[in-house]
Amino acid sequence: MTKFLAVVKREYIQRVRAKMFIVSTILLPAVMSLFGIVPAIIFSIETPPMRVAVVDQTGKMYAELKRSLDGDSSGQGAQSDNTSISSGLPRRGLGTFRLEEVNANSQSLEVIRATLDQRLRARELDGYLILPPDFVSNGKAEFFNRNAGDIVSSRALQSALNRATREQRLIEAKVDNKTRQELFKPVNLEGVSLSAGGQERDSGGRFALVFGMGFVMYLAILMYGQIILGSVVEEKETRIAEILFSSVKPFTLMMGKLVGVSFVALTQLAIWGLAFSAFALYGVGVLASRGMSLRIPGVPLSHYLYFGLFFLLGYFMYATLYALVGSMVTTAQEGGQLAMPIILILAVSFYLFLPVSRSPDSPLAFWVSIFPFSAPVAMVIRIITQTPPFWQIALSLVIGFSTVLVIMYAASRIYRVGMLMYGKRASIPEAIRWARQA
Amino acid sequence: MAANEITVKLEGVTKSFGEFTAVRELSLTVRAGRVFGLLGPNGAGKTTTIRMIVNITAPDSGRILLFGQKIDSKLQDRIGYLPEERGLYRRMRVSDQLRFFAELKNVRGKLIESRIDEWLARVKLSEWKNKRSMELSKGMQQKIQFVTSVIHDPDLLILDEPFSGLDPINVELLKEVVLDLKRAGKTIIFSTHQMEVAEKICDDICLLNRSQKIFEGSLREIKSSFGRNSIAVRCEGGDGVLDDPALVSKVVRHADEAQALLAAGANAQVLLKRLIDSGAIIGKFEMVEPSLNDIFITKVTEAT
Repeated sequence: MTKFLAVVKREYIQRVRAKMFIVSTILLPAVMSLFGIVPAIIFSIETPPMRVAVVDQTGKMYAELKRSLDGDSSGQGAQSDNTSISSGLPRRGLGTFRLEEVNANSQSLEVIRATLDQRLRARELDGYLILPPDFVSNGKAEFFNRNAGDIVSSRALQSALNRATREQRLIEAKVDNKTRQELFKPVNLEGVSLSAGGQERDSGGRFALVFGMGFVMYLAILMYGQIILGSVVEEKETRIAEILFSSVKPFTLMMGKLVGVSFVALTQLAIWGLAFSAFALYGVGVLASRGMSLRIPGVPLSHYLYFGLFFLLGYFMYATLYALVGSMVTTAQEGGQLAMPIILILAVSFYLFLPVSRSPDSPLAFWVSIFPFSAPVAMVIRIITQTPPFWQIALSLVIGFSTVLVIMYAASRIYRVGMLMYGKRASIPEAIRWARQA
Repeated sequence: MAANEITVKLEGVTKSFGEFTAVRELSLTVRAGRVFGLLGPNGAGKTTTIRMIVNITAPDSGRILLFGQKIDSKLQDRIGYLPEERGLYRRMRVSDQLRFFAELKNVRGKLIESRIDEWLARVKLSEWKNKRSMELSKGMQQKIQFVTSVIHDPDLLILDEPFSGLDPINVELLKEVVLDLKRAGKTIIFSTHQMEVAEKICDDICLLNRSQKIFEGSLREIKSSFGRNSIAVRCEGGDGVLDDPALVSKVVRHADEAQALLAAGANAQVLLKRLIDSGAIIGKFEMVEPSLNDIFITKVTEAT
């Protein structure tokens, strides 16, 4: 027992003290928040409005179009149009226009177009729109654009034109003002999810939370699994294993290593968890006072606990496999290659997060959250989206930890032989033979 | 510890890996307070034998007794083992490293710190105490590795090729340490394929070849049993005489002298006379004990 503790202590202290630990503790949340913030920053960059000349041959569309575009950029009426492409993206800075009316009757269309083409080339204009006299009835218009690649602007223009035309057609159909306003009143769809504790609003925040938790789970299992791989390979590569085995049983050493590193992982996760809670409690308020509204859905304590439990499940499952692989190879690179199939299972279980979080009650979600190799990620995703019945969580844990015991047993038998086999990477049949020996 | 006490006893030990038998029916006795040389060429089964003694692998058949008891993991704490394939944690500080290895042998508390300082001073590496081992030269690392095997003050110290790759000054230093430990009553098993090194420090030897024991006994006894039938000769001319199979069974020529092994029934006086008669100018003619290497070769030839 003292020897076991000595191994645990070494793994823990050496790793927590390492620069790597401190860097990764700070870096991961930084990178994750960067992923959240950067798109928002990019979309908030102000671009100069697009200068568009409108040749309105119908003589009645210009005012309507201008109103529609102005309404758009002030954020109203956006949801009312189902062709709007910018759903979910901040609208500010995208598709703002400065319109200019060109008198369509004073000259012939050819002359007007020649003048406008010239202004376009002289960069006095970014584009011009020609609305033919029969536009309202057949809806065909032409847009001449200096930058054909700017799909966003032309789509925005199209949708504004769409709304304006619809309005005009209703006017012509003698629909009165009040009815028109009624017809265009935007609907408001707010995501509300039912949870055990009652209703919770804001599905967007919850989605981010599910994704974040799934991602952290996946990343932490992968990262700490690879730390185990590196640690085992180091002891094999430097031949320390032989000295160690003359002092401790291989099983004690392997378990000490796994447990020691699991404490490192839990320490890091606890730091992240506390940082997250602190941010949810205080940071959000601070941001809100500066005009950045951010809603973080509340995470009940039980979810933290489940997260910890399923992390330990996933960690011990994959880290033990990594230890097994590490004892079979001669270098960390080889270990990486041999461990590829393992990582693949884990990666797939992470990529299943979308179908699982969309329908957490589906048979697919059920089975991937019960299957031990995908359970850690899948079950946590289910628990956060819609907590499944307790028996399912318990079943997943029981099957998972039983699998861990089987893997540990097999790994310890391969490990004690593999660690003393120098020279070349062991084949899988060889490893199976080792496991059977003695 | 009394001189006739037995530290390690192997009885009919066999170990195979698949088809290959690494150690066959090996019995040997290591007496307390002596330096026991486990000798043989590479692949003779030395490392496998040692791994069984330190309880890393178990024999397929036979019995191993340590300090009169059947080996178990508790007895491991009384053994210090420096394997041939050895290393250190690259990123760990020397003192942390030594502390870890001592803890693995159940040494506790303050005792560890004083032992670390004591041993680092002894191998002249005190100022490297807080350096990471990757900052140390290869020779320094080897000395630290040696210290890891003695930090817990073991009663039995097993050294597998401890001097390989060390410079002569450090070889001398470690040799002194080993002899000091022997004087302190520790038992030392010294495994090597370098017979010249073994010759200088072993009291008893066991020769292994191709998984089997060829000879076991005290180095003194075996040397005297072979008698002084080896002659070191330095002379100019007279080469034909040394090649006469009636007189000399084997001759090994070194840079400036030759080692001649007398043929059975031949006489050194006759050889000397023949050399003088042949007109050779003799610089050196000395009857010497056979080298361990010669004994080994003779024994191997006898056995096959």
